[in-house]
Amino acid sequence: MPDAVPQNGGFMIAAYVIAAVILGGYALSLYLRARRSLRP
Amino acid sequence: MRMLRAGRWISGVALALLAGVYVRVLAYTPVEASQGLAQKIFYLHVPAAIWAETAMVLVGLASIVYLFTKDPRLDRFAASSAEVGTIFCVIVLTTGPIWGKPIWGTWWTWDARLTLTLFLFLLYVGYLLLRSAVVDPATRARYAAVLGICGMCEVPFIHLSVYMFPTLHPMPIILQPGRPKLPGSMLTTWLLSLGVFTLFYVGFVVQRYALSYLREQLEAAAGAGGIGHA
Repeated sequence: MPDAVPQNGGFMIAAYVIAAVILGGYALSLYLRARRSLRP
Repeated sequence: MRMLRAGRWISGVALALLAGVYVRVLAYTPVEASQGLAQKIFYLHVPAAIWAETAMVLVGLASIVYLFTKDPRLDRFAASSAEVGTIFCVIVLTTGPIWGKPIWGTWWTWDARLTLTLFLFLLYVGYLLLRSAVVDPATRARYAAVLGICGMCEVPFIHLSVYMFPTLHPMPIILQPGRPKLPGSMLTTWLLSLGVFTLFYVGFVVQRYALSYLREQLEAAAGAGGIGHA
């Protein structure tokens, strides 16, 4: 049964991309908010 | 400023290590035979869920102590932990359905675990909205503390929901009595991912805390009396 493993790699890629975007986006948001607060 | 820089540094390290976890997941962790590659979402979904729940527990504990001591540092920490917990909750609620679709055949079902996690997210959102809606800092901190304690009380129900109402969501395979039901290489990858998510939590909370403190100082200096941000 060589093809017994389900072919659903696209779902994994989508989840990993979305998680990275959320984490990176929040890190960027913290950076921008801090920069705005420090602006005279 | 030193705290802000430390938080940025920790978050930067976490982002770099996240890339390492991705490489390990994709190249050095075996594919689970029955679920295929979609099972690898587990390495993101579960650590994010653990920190989404832990963040709310920490909000609740800080809130309890705040109500006794009125220490503004605890209120600031609770606000920071709630915001970061919301981010982790968003990850849980996006990666979960993406995992569920190929395995269960549906993006969403009103299973007890899923519904309670959605409720946790709504509690987080309500907590943040409450903080932005109340102007007086002392009143805001008191109201938010009460809501934070309510949120903490929900967390054990999320964990126990799969035992009380077993439907689609699987039973825990790591946070359960007895040894984790995972092969060694999968468990190692999961532990690395949990470590990275822990770093993210610490780095983000430290930054968010420093940001709140900075804003309060600037508002105090400007004579605004700490109005607005939380």
